[in-house]
Amino acid sequence: MALDYRKCAEEISANIGGGSNVISAAHCATRLRLVIADNGKVNKAALENVDGVKGMFESNGQLQLIIGTGTVNKVYDEFLSVTGVSAASKDDVKKAAASKMPLWKRILKTPGDVFVPILPAIVASGLMMGLVEALAKAIPSFANSGWFGFLDLVANTAFALLPVLVAVSAARVFGGNIFLGAVIGLMMVHPALMNAWTVTPTNQPAVWDLGIFSISQVGYQGHVIPVILAVLLMSTVEKWLHKHVPEMIDLFVTPLCTVLVTAFATFVVIGPIFSILENWVLQGAEWLVTSTGGIGALVMGALYPWTVVMGLHHMYNVIEAGMLSGALGLNIWMPIASAANFAQFGACLAVAIKCRNAKLKSVALPSSLSASLGITEPAIFGVNFRFMKPFIAGVIGGAVGALFGSLTGLGATTYGVTGIPGLLAINNIPVYVIELLIASGIAFVITSVIWKEEQPEAAQVPEAAAPAAPELEVPATSVIRCAAGTVLQPVKGNVIAREAIPDDTFASGVLGDGVGIEPEDELVVAPFDGTISSVAESQHAVGIESNGMEMLIHVGVDTVNMQGDGFTCLVKEGDEVKAGQPLIRFDRAKIKAAGYSDTVAVLLTNSDDLEGVECGAK
Amino acid sequence: MKSFEYTITDPVGIHARPAGILVKKIKEFASTVTVIKGEKEVNALKLMALMGMGIKQGDTVKVTIDGADEEKAAAEIEEFFKANL
Repeated sequence: MALDYRKCAEEISANIGGGSNVISAAHCATRLRLVIADNGKVNKAALENVDGVKGMFESNGQLQLIIGTGTVNKVYDEFLSVTGVSAASKDDVKKAAASKMPLWKRILKTPGDVFVPILPAIVASGLMMGLVEALAKAIPSFANSGWFGFLDLVANTAFALLPVLVAVSAARVFGGNIFLGAVIGLMMVHPALMNAWTVTPTNQPAVWDLGIFSISQVGYQGHVIPVILAVLLMSTVEKWLHKHVPEMIDLFVTPLCTVLVTAFATFVVIGPIFSILENWVLQGAEWLVTSTGGIGALVMGALYPWTVVMGLHHMYNVIEAGMLSGALGLNIWMPIASAANFAQFGACLAVAIKCRNAKLKSVALPSSLSASLGITEPAIFGVNFRFMKPFIAGVIGGAVGALFGSLTGLGATTYGVTGIPGLLAINNIPVYVIELLIASGIAFVITSVIWKEEQPEAAQVPEAAAPAAPELEVPATSVIRCAAGTVLQPVKGNVIAREAIPDDTFASGVLGDGVGIEPEDELVVAPFDGTISSVAESQHAVGIESNGMEMLIHVGVDTVNMQGDGFTCLVKEGDEVKAGQPLIRFDRAKIKAAGYSDTVAVLLTNSDDLEGVECGAK
Repeated sequence: MKSFEYTITDPVGIHARPAGILVKKIKEFASTVTVIKGEKEVNALKLMALMGMGIKQGDTVKVTIDGADEEKAAAEIEEFFKANL
């Protein structure tokens, strides 16, 4: 029997003096973290005996209740509704977070969020698939061996059943139950359904007639977007039901209804919409490439990566097969796909080479290798599409490469391979190599120029040179605005909402309103002309005042524990500083090595007393 | 005016996080709260000034509370120091 989240939350509430005694409530992976107004009202002995609370302690002014992974969020949700802390703070957080990021950005971000956790699986699969297929083309006897059969199985598992991985990850992102998510993913590739990759105009799936509508018995192999949509729907339905179904029957009614509703919606609405879209794309693509010559190739080369994002590219085999059996007898589709894929490789490689973040590098490098072998999902979802600029660079490179391929009459004698393995199937190897170099070269150069992760040069300027050059680089963007003045962005990097700072105290606003910055640089500069009001002994935080604004810039989370190692404060208390003047240098590698987040908190500590405070990058 | 002395036990001293919640607590009262360490003294409502004192574990600070609700404030703030700092 699962834990009764609501009962647990109610008992916690009863033993801490109710919602009015809660200043703020948050949770981390395992703990419910409460800031309590009056600790006298807390009944610690009773709290420890609440079913579901595995332990409690007080730390840094927080009452922390250990509840457990996967459970704490449920208890937290219930706790908010029980105590009424919810209505205000949770909605505020949502609204604030939402208003800071435009809708289209959030939509674009979602596939990336879903894909990043499953990258190890698809990178491994992608590389192996590329190698195994290349070997099979190069050595025909290998293709018929048991070795190939088995290695092919191992290699394509993650791709053949990709919807399952996507569904589980999406369920985590959208806050649904991951096992229900897995069920949805499994359903979409159920063996009783026809494999989507085997559908051709002559081999159509059977249909279940349900009276008012019918369901096509076809799976979603290779699909991404319909799976994400299905799981988004599932998570929404599940959460709504959890709220509205009486507790007593929640445990069986909610999962049952969630799966049923999602299944119908997926197969009756989401699926058919996508298959109609797919057919349009297929017909459009075929027409473009066969009827409009070079221009069509150019357009298709640009569109191709988008269709990969949609998961439509697995259907192109149909076009390729049609071309081979047609009048021309040559697969002129393959050079286009190859240019598009290889351009994504070039863009991803540029990211891999240019980035300094070790983690990103470790993802980008194998992803680009996989892309060079024709399997672009890891590169597109894991890297290029996430940052968008590399993706666009790839689109441009792919378009130009495809145009070149079309004008030079490139074509393949078989289908299903692109990239380097395509060398074995192409009619003119030197021209094909030139095409790949054009596509990837353009994408590589554009990415190198327009994509910026951080500016390593700035961090490596020798200390001695700094004072000699009084020219200050004043930040162009502001992060906080209020009646008393404007706070410029003190560190280069991605500005996030205060609520998203990975530390409960900063996120809760106890220290004032503001923003977080995920630094791409290692230098904090003054956000306005002002006076240094305090410097932390451990050099990682600085206070600055001006015109009634009191500002705290705090580098990293819990970095006080590093005792100054990795931080150099360049100013002292009482110093007058100008906007853009360097304040603190810090070493991101050391912060990471110490196991802390390097997110910089930029907070107006007296925001309560200031008028018209508005946060967010501008 | 009320006052008490307290020796800090929190390993990080009065740094950002503890300072923040202390200010929050003090805002509940009308009284003026002053934190004194050695020769330095600050109005405890000024977060930056409070942090700037660099109060560490083992330091003994004197806290004075002066105002209309000083009785109640002194008791609760002393309690707060014991529980959090």
